[in-house]
Amino acid sequence: METVLNNVVPVYLEEEKILSSEVWNHHIKIDKYVHIIAPSGRGKSSLMQFMYGLRKEYTGEVIFDNQQIHKKSAEEIADLRGNRLSIVFQDLRLFPDHTAYENITVKRSLQPYNEDQINQMAERLGISNKLKQHIRNCSYGEQQRVAIIRALQQPFELLILDEPFSHLDENNSKLAMQLILEEATVRNAAIILLDLEKVPFYPADSMYHL
Amino acid sequence: MKNNQHISYNTIAAFLNTQSNKGSKFFGYAGLCTGMVLLLTAAQMFININHLIKEKNTRKDGFDFISVTKTVTNENMMKDNRFSENDIKELKQQKFIDDAAPLISNQFRVKASAGNIIPFSTDLFLEAIQSDFIDTVPPDFNWKPGDINVPIVFSADYLEMYNVFAPSQDLPQMSESTISSLTIILECHGPGGIESFRGNIVAVTNRISSVLVPQNFLEWANKRYGNAENIPAARVYLKTKDANSTELLNFIDARQYHLNKDKTKFGRIKQVLEGVITALAGFAVVVIILAMLLFSFYLQLIIERSRQNLVLLLTLGYSPGWLTKTLAKKWTPIYVTIMLIATIVTSLFQLYFVHKMNNRAELSHTLHPAVFALGLLILFLSILINYRMIKKMLYKL
Repeated sequence: METVLNNVVPVYLEEEKILSSEVWNHHIKIDKYVHIIAPSGRGKSSLMQFMYGLRKEYTGEVIFDNQQIHKKSAEEIADLRGNRLSIVFQDLRLFPDHTAYENITVKRSLQPYNEDQINQMAERLGISNKLKQHIRNCSYGEQQRVAIIRALQQPFELLILDEPFSHLDENNSKLAMQLILEEATVRNAAIILLDLEKVPFYPADSMYHL
Repeated sequence: MKNNQHISYNTIAAFLNTQSNKGSKFFGYAGLCTGMVLLLTAAQMFININHLIKEKNTRKDGFDFISVTKTVTNENMMKDNRFSENDIKELKQQKFIDDAAPLISNQFRVKASAGNIIPFSTDLFLEAIQSDFIDTVPPDFNWKPGDINVPIVFSADYLEMYNVFAPSQDLPQMSESTISSLTIILECHGPGGIESFRGNIVAVTNRISSVLVPQNFLEWANKRYGNAENIPAARVYLKTKDANSTELLNFIDARQYHLNKDKTKFGRIKQVLEGVITALAGFAVVVIILAMLLFSFYLQLIIERSRQNLVLLLTLGYSPGWLTKTLAKKWTPIYVTIMLIATIVTSLFQLYFVHKMNNRAELSHTLHPAVFALGLLILFLSILINYRMIKKMLYKL
């Protein structure tokens, strides 16, 4: 899947932030590992939401396979999210009243990829004893790892990561990064990682400042 | 696109809050059921009444024949109250009237005498109508110019009347068979003098109170003796599947025509009963609408309470179409159960009604297929409305 950001500009962003950006109002092709560094207030979450088809308040085009995402129907977007596009939200978006395991399986049952590796993944990220716990009783770092495992249950051609390691220590961040890279390689998928600062252990092919 | 086809409702059941507000749910169900029973009962009663009030007499090939005149009132008595060709055309066009035929009458003077056997002589009127409107048409009921014999179909009412008065006038009483051996001399008075024909009574009819001759004879004679052609008729006979049809009566009332009362008296009762039942059906529809409204509030509440989870499911990639279908399907068994209960209760009402009516043969112990069809239609509509409501709410999230 070819993903292109073509002169995307949020309608609500200040002029000088657009002028100084390497992303807004530029033509960017996301075909390998892309790193976008964005200090607060530059519209990082907006970009992520535009790409995931959650918001439409922009000019320019977000293109998947030669089709603008905001021109796709609700069913086409659901298909995209189930089969080709996965995401780790900055605000995680987990079901607080359900267990970590339920949160992962509700995504997994949509379009399972490979055999069930939930336990092994949880083991690797050090949360295997948290799977039966309700999300509201998990720490933010644990929730972040649940969200990462959830994102890896489906087939995808592009993985969007929005500050995925914000509440993880360096060691856990590296473990998570490694798991993500393995899964991306298996799928031959591209990654776009958005963060406040440069993530040193992310092998970016290209880097832009938002 | 067929997203998520393989997923079952159970996958997401835990993420929806359906345990809420049992009261409004129960009242919604009960209301829907009550409304359905009322509506189905009204429909069945409508059919019962139509079965009960159906005349079985004076029928030929399953048709009723009734005569219509224009009502003569003080206001219109000076005008021509006969039927024009357009009037008859309009009658024929009505879907509840299968055919209409004018009864034409003689436009010249006819004197009848019974010859030597019975010393009887009177001015007579003759009428004619399309042969297929007469119930007892013998094969020899025809006439062609030059014939001296004219066949006559005589009213059974007139024969009865004659037999009542005959003894007091020293006249012999006559049976239907003896009357047919009688030859009546018909004297037709015209501008060219008097011509005589020999009238033979070939049949007696219960349907039309008149002295009927073949139509072509009367048309010929009217032209020859009365110098008249295409005379409007004062009386028109209607051929209809059901003389008690409410539609027919409404139409006749609207035109201010006058109908043979006997044959339509049940129709008048039916008119009133149908009005009452229609009002009941209208009430039933209101109850059903209210129940559906209550139900929609209940649905809205469920979706509102599960709003965050539903939004998240959509964000994760669940198809809105699949979610709609899956949620809607959950209520289908409930609707089917409600319809089954309503049908059973209506069936019991019908059994009770038939029992109260002494099991009359016209009534069926089971519900009419149309009532079942109506039940299925409402079931289908409920499921469809439910689906549309869920879809509307989900796509609004």
